[in-house]
Amino acid sequence: MKRLIFLLILPCLVVNANAQKYMTKNGFIGFYGHTPMEDIKADNNQVASVLDISTGELVFQVLIKSFHFDRALMEEHFNENYMESDKIPKSIFKGRITNLSSVDFKKIGSYDVTVEGDLTIHDVTNKITTKGSIEVISEGINANSKFNIVPEDYKINIPGLVRDKIAKSLEVTVTMKYSPLPSK
Amino acid sequence: MKPIVKIALLVVVLIAIGGLFAALYLYNLKPRDLQKAKPHFSISADDFQKAFNENEKAASTRYINKIIDVSGTIASVQSGEKNTFNVALKTGNELSSIICTFHSIKDTTILRSGNQIIIRGVCSGFLMDVLLNNCVVVKSWK
Repeated sequence: MKRLIFLLILPCLVVNANAQKYMTKNGFIGFYGHTPMEDIKADNNQVASVLDISTGELVFQVLIKSFHFDRALMEEHFNENYMESDKIPKSIFKGRITNLSSVDFKKIGSYDVTVEGDLTIHDVTNKITTKGSIEVISEGINANSKFNIVPEDYKINIPGLVRDKIAKSLEVTVTMKYSPLPSK
Repeated sequence: MKPIVKIALLVVVLIAIGGLFAALYLYNLKPRDLQKAKPHFSISADDFQKAFNENEKAASTRYINKIIDVSGTIASVQSGEKNTFNVALKTGNELSSIICTFHSIKDTTILRSGNQIIIRGVCSGFLMDVLLNNCVVVKSWK
């Protein structure tokens, strides 16, 4: 995967004067689940993502261990019991903007987009489709999205004892601030 | 009631209360404050990146979940969501740095590109960069 991203980047370092690819290594993905017992909330500020504006292709990858919880014990359980992050350290999304023609990357403004692709969590891949927005600003491109995922869909086993404590569905927030990849 | 039964009941109740407090304490435990922790490793940003670049598996086993003091020069500082800051440390590899996330930092004036710094954090692993979380500043030179 790492090599893949390097391969994606390499050509534009060499040939591209007009940035086609945008990138961030400081992206944000958070998730939130609410139950009467407690709220589950975690943030990841180390999301690596590449957006290719000529094809609409999007790649995100995160380390599971980079999710930060307010409660240390919750973070430990998340890593050890649910995500098995020693065995499965990464989560990846590969997809594309399906309505690319409705975004004018040359014009500053906000555009609604639909993104579909493969989301791999806990070594299980599911097709997802979600709405989001692309904001073209002078420094680069911002991208935002919110969608829900169900832990069960990714074979994340939650023991019966705590099943009711953990929300059936988690709200995922994605906030990216892309910069053009430097051309050489 | 026999005295022995009374004592036994008292002991059971005390254990139950103790257990409850212990559980509440554990439940509310905050992420560790690394300012007071001892690092498992001290390493330069360049050597740290090289270790992962050359042998990710070995470096992962050695460094992930460990407390690391990394010394280097600040390449860039990015503010993120909810008062977080990501500091990237320069390495010999232009495409790959050490990214250190600060979840709560009061004095951000020391976080300037070009400054020399030693940052302590917990290693989460390697994506395109080596990632550290729960970071604190150990030492800085302006």
